[in-house]
Amino acid sequence: MTAGPIITPGDDRPGSLWRDAWRRLRRNRLAVAGLVILALLVLVAAFGPWLTPYDFLSQNLDARNLPPSMAHPFGTDDLGRDVLSRVIYGARTAFLVAVLVTAVALLIGVVLGAIAGFYGGAFDKGLMWVTDMTMSVPQLLLVVVINASLKQPITLWMEARYLETLNPIYRNSAIIDFVLVFGSMALISWPPYARLVRAQVLSIRNRPYVTAARALGLTNRIILTRYVLPNAAGPLIVAVSAGLGTAMVLESAFSFLGIGVNPPTPSWGNMISDGLRVWTNYPHLLLAPAAVLAVVTVAFNFLGDGLNDALNPKGQK
Amino acid sequence: MSALLEIRGLTIDIERDTGPARVVDGIDLAVEEGESLGIVGESGCGKSLTMLSLVGLLPNRIRATGGSARFAGQDLLALPQEALRKLRGSQIGFIFQDPMTSLNPVMRVGEQIAEALIHQSGMAKPAAMERAAELLELVGIPSPRDRLMAYPHELSGGMRQRVMIAIGLAGSPRLLIADEPTTALDVTIQAQIVDLVRDLKDRFGMSVVWITHDLALIAGLADRIAVLYAGTVVEDAPVEVIFDRPTHPYTRGLLASLPTLTDRPMTRLPSIGGTPPEPGRRPPGCPFAPRCTLAEAACDAAVPKLAAVPGSDPRHRVACFVTAGEGGRA
Ligand SMILES: Nc1ncnc2c1ncn2[C@@H]1O[C@H](COP(=O)(O)OP(=O)(O)OP(=O)(O)O)[C@@H](O)[C@H]1O
Ligand SMILES: [Mg+2]
Repeated sequence: MTAGPIITPGDDRPGSLWRDAWRRLRRNRLAVAGLVILALLVLVAAFGPWLTPYDFLSQNLDARNLPPSMAHPFGTDDLGRDVLSRVIYGARTAFLVAVLVTAVALLIGVVLGAIAGFYGGAFDKGLMWVTDMTMSVPQLLLVVVINASLKQPITLWMEARYLETLNPIYRNSAIIDFVLVFGSMALISWPPYARLVRAQVLSIRNRPYVTAARALGLTNRIILTRYVLPNAAGPLIVAVSAGLGTAMVLESAFSFLGIGVNPPTPSWGNMISDGLRVWTNYPHLLLAPAAVLAVVTVAFNFLGDGLNDALNPKGQK
Repeated sequence: MSALLEIRGLTIDIERDTGPARVVDGIDLAVEEGESLGIVGESGCGKSLTMLSLVGLLPNRIRATGGSARFAGQDLLALPQEALRKLRGSQIGFIFQDPMTSLNPVMRVGEQIAEALIHQSGMAKPAAMERAAELLELVGIPSPRDRLMAYPHELSGGMRQRVMIAIGLAGSPRLLIADEPTTALDVTIQAQIVDLVRDLKDRFGMSVVWITHDLALIAGLADRIAVLYAGTVVEDAPVEVIFDRPTHPYTRGLLASLPTLTDRPMTRLPSIGGTPPEPGRRPPGCPFAPRCTLAEAACDAAVPKLAAVPGSDPRHRVACFVTAGEGGRA
C-alpha cells in the first residue's frame, strides 16, 4: 500500500502554527516597534526601584519645579520630587493595574463566556442581559458608583482587621485604593471578553472537528477546554493586547479624575492632573507623564494590529 | 445470525417554526457482525442523520421521534446521553467526510489519536502515544513516530483521512461508520482509502457502514448495499444482486448513470430527472413516484413497503409496487 504525498508548506517542524504567526508579526515594523517599547517599559517597571535616581517620595524643597537637567532629566515637581523617578514608579502602577485587571477580567470573561456559548440556555440569556446592562452604562459612572458603594465597607473592614490584629498592613490606605481600583475596573472590563469568548465558542462548537471529538466519546469539559477554547485563542490574544492598553488608559483617567490611585502613590493620571494646573509655568510636569502615556497607548495599538494580522492571515487580503 | 445493529422504523424530524418536518421516514436496516454495509443515496436523503441519531449526535432541533435501533442487545434510542457517550468511540467509531476540517487544527495528530485512549480507556500518556504510533503505522503513514508531532495542516488530504481512520480505530469499535470519507479526496487516494478500510475490517473483524454517493467505489468494499431515497430504504440486497438485478427504478437510474468502459467518449449518461421531495413535503404515496417513469396509479395512493423479491436472492428486498413482481429481472 502506498501513501499519498505529504505536503509540508514552509516549515514542517512542530509548533509551526505559532511560529508562522510569530514570523508574520516580526515582519510588521510597527508591531515590532510596539513590542520593543512595551518590553522596555516592562523592564523599567520591573526594575524601577534599582533604576530610579531618586526616591519617588523624597521631597527637596530647595529644588522645586526645576526644568529638565542632567541631574533631573524630567525636572522636579512642586515638592522637589524627581519627575523621572515618579514616571518610572507610575509605570509600575500602570502595569500592575493593567495586568491584574486584565487577568481578572479575562478569567471571568473566559469562564462565563465559554459556559454561556457552549451550553446556551438560561445561563446564556442571563449573561447576555448582564453584559448588555454593564456595557450600556457609561464606564466612568459605573466606576464611581462601585467605588462609592465599596469604599466605606472595605475601609471599615480594614479598620476592624487592624484593631483585631494590629497588623499595620491594614492601615495602609494605598491597599484600599488598589483593591477598589482593581475591583471596579475588573468589574467593568470583563463583559467584552465574555462576549468575545461566547461568540467564538458559538462559531466553533459546531465545527466538524468538534463533532468528531464528540463522536470519540470525549466529555463536554474536555471538548470545551481542548477543542473549542484553544481555537478561540487568536482573537482573544488580540483582545488582551488591546485590553491591557485600555486598562492602562483607564487607570490614568480614573487617577486623573481623583477616583483612582491617590497621591502620594505615583500614577501617570494624577501626575497629569497635577501638571495640568501649572502647565503654563512648568510644562515639563504635564509633558513627561502625558508623553509616556501616549507612547504606551500607541505601542499597544501597534502591537494589537500586528497581532491581529499575524493571527488572522486570511483576513489580510 | 443475529444482527449487531438493527434499525427498525426509525423516524427523524426537524423542528421547524412551522412544525416538525420529517426527514427520515421509517428506515429499516441491519448490519451483521463483521459485515460491511454500503449506504447510497442522493444528497439530503438522510444518510448522515440516520447514523448520527444512533449515537446521540443529532444537531440541535433535530430528533429521532420513533422506531428503535438495537445495538448488541440494547436500544440506542432509549439510552441516556452519558451511556451513549461511553459507547461512542469504544463501540461505535466514526470517520467523517472532510479530513480538512475534521481534525483539531491546534492539536498535534499524535495527541488527537491518544486523546480517546487517555480519556476513554484511562491509558497513561506515554502508552497512549506508543499506541498512536502503532495506529499511524497501521493506516499506512510512513515514519509514524515523526508524524505524531505534526499538526494537521502539515499533512495532505489523504494523510489526514488516514489519521482520521486511526482515530476512529483507536477505541477498537465493533462498528465503524464512515460517512463519505473519500468525497473530498483525489480518485487515486479514494481507492487507497477503500483498500485500507477493507484490510482493517478483515483484520479486526469489525462491522463497517460506509455512506457514499458513489456506487462504483463502494462495490469493492460492501457486502451488502442499502439504497436510500428521501428518508426510506427503497432497496436492500447483496452487492452483486444490486449490480446484476437492480429492481427499484431509482436503483436502476443510479446504475444507469454510472459511466462504463464501453461507453463511447462524450456519450451523455442518463440521469434521473426531477428532484427529491423537500423534508416535510412528502407525497402521500411512493416518494419516488413523481420522478418515476414506471409509476402507476397505485404508486400515488399508498407507500410501498420493503418486501422480499420473489425469485431473487432471499436477502433481496425492494419497496416498489411495479417492479417487485418482476422476479428481480431487470
Ligand atoms: N443541522 C441541520 N439543520 C437543519 N436541517 C438539516 C440539518 N442537517 C441536515 N438537515 C437536513 O436533513 C436532511 C438530511 O440530511 P443528511 O445530512 O442526513 O443528508 P445526507 O443524506 O447525509 O446528505 P449528503 O450526501 O449531502 O451528506 C437534508 O434535507 C438536510 O437539509
Ligand atoms: Mg451526509
